[in-house]
Amino acid sequence: MKKRLIAATLLFGMLIPMLLMSGCGKKEVLKLYLPGEYLGDGVISGFEKAYNCKVIIENFDSNEMMYTKISAGDSYDVLIPSDYMIERLLKEDQLQKLDKSLITNIGNLAPEVTNLSFDPDNSYSVPYFWGNVGIVYTKNRVDLADLEKDGFGIFLNEKYKGNIYVYDSERDMFMCAFKTLGYSCNTENEDEIQEAYDWLVKIGKTMSPVYVTDEIIDNMLHEYEDLGIMYSGDAAYIISENPNLGYFVPESGTNRWFDAMVIPKNAANPELANKFINYMCTEKAARLNTQGVGYASPVASILKEMTSEDGDYFENEAYYPRTNANDELFHDSEYLRKRLSELWIKVKAASE
Amino acid sequence: MKKSRRIGSKIFMGVLMLFFYAPIIYTIFFSFNSGRSLTHFDGFSLQWYGKMFSDSNMLQAVFYTIVIAVIATAVSTIVGTITAIGLSKSHRILKLIVEQVNNFPLMNPDIVTAIGLLMLFSGLHASKGFVTMLLAHIMFCIPYVMLSVTPKLKSLDSNILEAAMDLGCTPMQALIKVIVPQIMPGVVSGALIAFTMSFDDFVISYFVTGNGVSNISILVYTMSKRVNPSINALSTLIIVIISVFLLLVNIVPSLYNKSKAKSAKG
Amino acid sequence: MKSFRKMTYPYVVWISFIVVAPMFLILLYAFTKEGNAVMDFVFTLDNFKKFFVDSVFIDVLLRSLRVALVTTVLCILIGYPAGYFIAKSSEGVKMRWVLLITFPTWINMLVRTYAWVGILQDDGIVNNILSIIGVRSITLLHTEFAVILGMVYNFLPFMILQIYTALTKMDNSLLEAAADLGADRVRSFLKVTLPLSLPGVLSGITLVFLPAVSSFFIPKLLGGGQYVMVGNLIESQFLTSGDWNFGSAISLIMVIIIMISLYLTKKVDKTELTERRAN
Repeated sequence: MKKRLIAATLLFGMLIPMLLMSGCGKKEVLKLYLPGEYLGDGVISGFEKAYNCKVIIENFDSNEMMYTKISAGDSYDVLIPSDYMIERLLKEDQLQKLDKSLITNIGNLAPEVTNLSFDPDNSYSVPYFWGNVGIVYTKNRVDLADLEKDGFGIFLNEKYKGNIYVYDSERDMFMCAFKTLGYSCNTENEDEIQEAYDWLVKIGKTMSPVYVTDEIIDNMLHEYEDLGIMYSGDAAYIISENPNLGYFVPESGTNRWFDAMVIPKNAANPELANKFINYMCTEKAARLNTQGVGYASPVASILKEMTSEDGDYFENEAYYPRTNANDELFHDSEYLRKRLSELWIKVKAASE
Repeated sequence: MKKSRRIGSKIFMGVLMLFFYAPIIYTIFFSFNSGRSLTHFDGFSLQWYGKMFSDSNMLQAVFYTIVIAVIATAVSTIVGTITAIGLSKSHRILKLIVEQVNNFPLMNPDIVTAIGLLMLFSGLHASKGFVTMLLAHIMFCIPYVMLSVTPKLKSLDSNILEAAMDLGCTPMQALIKVIVPQIMPGVVSGALIAFTMSFDDFVISYFVTGNGVSNISILVYTMSKRVNPSINALSTLIIVIISVFLLLVNIVPSLYNKSKAKSAKG
Repeated sequence: MKSFRKMTYPYVVWISFIVVAPMFLILLYAFTKEGNAVMDFVFTLDNFKKFFVDSVFIDVLLRSLRVALVTTVLCILIGYPAGYFIAKSSEGVKMRWVLLITFPTWINMLVRTYAWVGILQDDGIVNNILSIIGVRSITLLHTEFAVILGMVYNFLPFMILQIYTALTKMDNSLLEAAADLGADRVRSFLKVTLPLSLPGVLSGITLVFLPAVSSFFIPKLLGGGQYVMVGNLIESQFLTSGDWNFGSAISLIMVIIIMISLYLTKKVDKTELTERRAN
């Protein structure tokens, strides 16, 4: 018995280092940190083959989670955060300049996704996916006229009481409120914040909504409720699966967002990181990504291909993010972040 | 009267088992779904198993989960039991202090323990990954073992130990031959709880890991953005592996005994 | 005997490093202001004031305590008979029952909770069965019922195992003695079995109540985002708003509440023990 135990322990002791080493080998290693379910099939293996390297992937479920880990000193080669988070990382001097001589494919990008306010000349970031926030609805139960009339205000339309999903994110829901009331989604004006807060509390108190996060994707796909807030890319995916669903973005404006690839200051392998960013801008990688995930590609030719008659997202109203003067990007504001988070807890706690 | 009571308790345990196993059967069932849904069964398919086996991240996560759970359970069971025994003979004050400190990982919300460890490991500039995750698991497993062993020690008759030493046992012998066998049920259930806790842990692992080392929980959480039935396939596989393992543990010794009995006869 | 004492020293060193040090860091955050830099110590009580001034946070706390309490009571009510049944089974069957109870907990908690989401869904199994019987479908998911169900499901095995452990080490001759002395089954249960199993019940309570009160994943999935418990509150402080100081303060408040309830539990344990000795 004892001998067997010892043998088993020895075996285990040998197995672990072996496995750990097989992970490293002599190949170069790239550490990638990005949102979950954000890669098309075969993209990473394609890059690994092309550059004879190993990619270690880690996923986060929110920009804030990523930030917590980054500020704890964890080192990655490439991150894919959102616009406002890139703004914050830049403010804190956590990112390094890209090596443009290695990113030759940057010319493939669509004009809508380059030279954005958070990184005016793309010295630090290259877009990966982009989109906006809108309302997903079931065509047979929701009247398009109501949506056109009310915009995000449809969340207060008694007709749909008890059949709505609210997205459990203060950033996005306060954006809906601000936009409906005609304010900027980056406002720090206390009266406007209060008004938006009251608007959201009213939804919680009178409309019996369910607050969900990513479950909304599957739930709307199966039409459990009539309508809900969703990111355009997720909407594009479920609309392509279920033609009874529609996507509507109110005229009063919404949030337009960009997730982009950046290289942190403490990256262990910046050269490979630049090559990775370059590879993701190739048509091949961009096509696989957008086909697999559903979010809008930053590459101009792929956008065209996907929306053309034999593209995956032909006549899919959610795929290609619109351009509208009322749409805004989020900016990084510590004050707003804390204030909204505090108020959001109250909105949820007051909900019935 | 007695019979009806027995039937009643059998029904009770039956309902309880149904409650425990319903979600598991559900998980297995939907791992064979050809669609992505978790409520509509679209047809039989093995595609999620194919997806799982081609996903090296998933297989690696399974490996890490098992290795960490096994090592953490072994270490925490041994250390926890030894400490609990030592503590039962220690000074009241030390006992009190250790018990209080032990309560921290037990009663703190996981997320607090996680943040505390994150701050600690970052402060020490430790490279996060396998080792930090293992240390964290050992840390929260030991108190569970002690919690399970200590009540056993409390009800232990200390005269037996003294008698053993009077009869010439060294303290070590007395420990192994007298104390350990008596508290064995507590040690076993402590080990079971430790294994379960480690195997299931999500929040703490999520915060203290890095460098691409992740366990099943982390995988499930970050994959849950879109319902991904390969998780169900993976769970089904784990269920099968554990069942086979348990069957072997239960059946092999009895077979061994039978063959022994036979050869003794022959 | 003294030689046994040395066995605790390594552990004392270990916990002061890996348990006490992180707690100290949290304490530091709870009483300081702003920013992730631990370097600038500005002592403040603002984080605590914020919590107690606002009735919303108190409501969340009370709700968590209520849900955890209901979960614990249900776990005792279901777990005691189950543990008793197993402890009274014959030797060979016992271990099999223990395995049957432990087995589900080896399947990932998140996966099992997702399975409940599917089962309780508006078009899930439960509602399908109801509609076959002819009952109108009812909303099960995103209710308090679902949250408590999920918690009982996840934590009940710990209660059963603790009670079973306490009962199985019980000396059966005590029961025989009680019977010889003329006690009927109910009496001997109340006077012998119950007191002897109490330590098991108490450690079971610890294993159920503590994770239940701080759980954030179960309320999030089964209760929906509007079902905020203290765990969710802390999580959002660390992960969304990045207010580590307020998050640490809430954690500390919870730790204190839990410490008080643990102290009370201990006290029950002690009085029970002394009573037993007196008898």
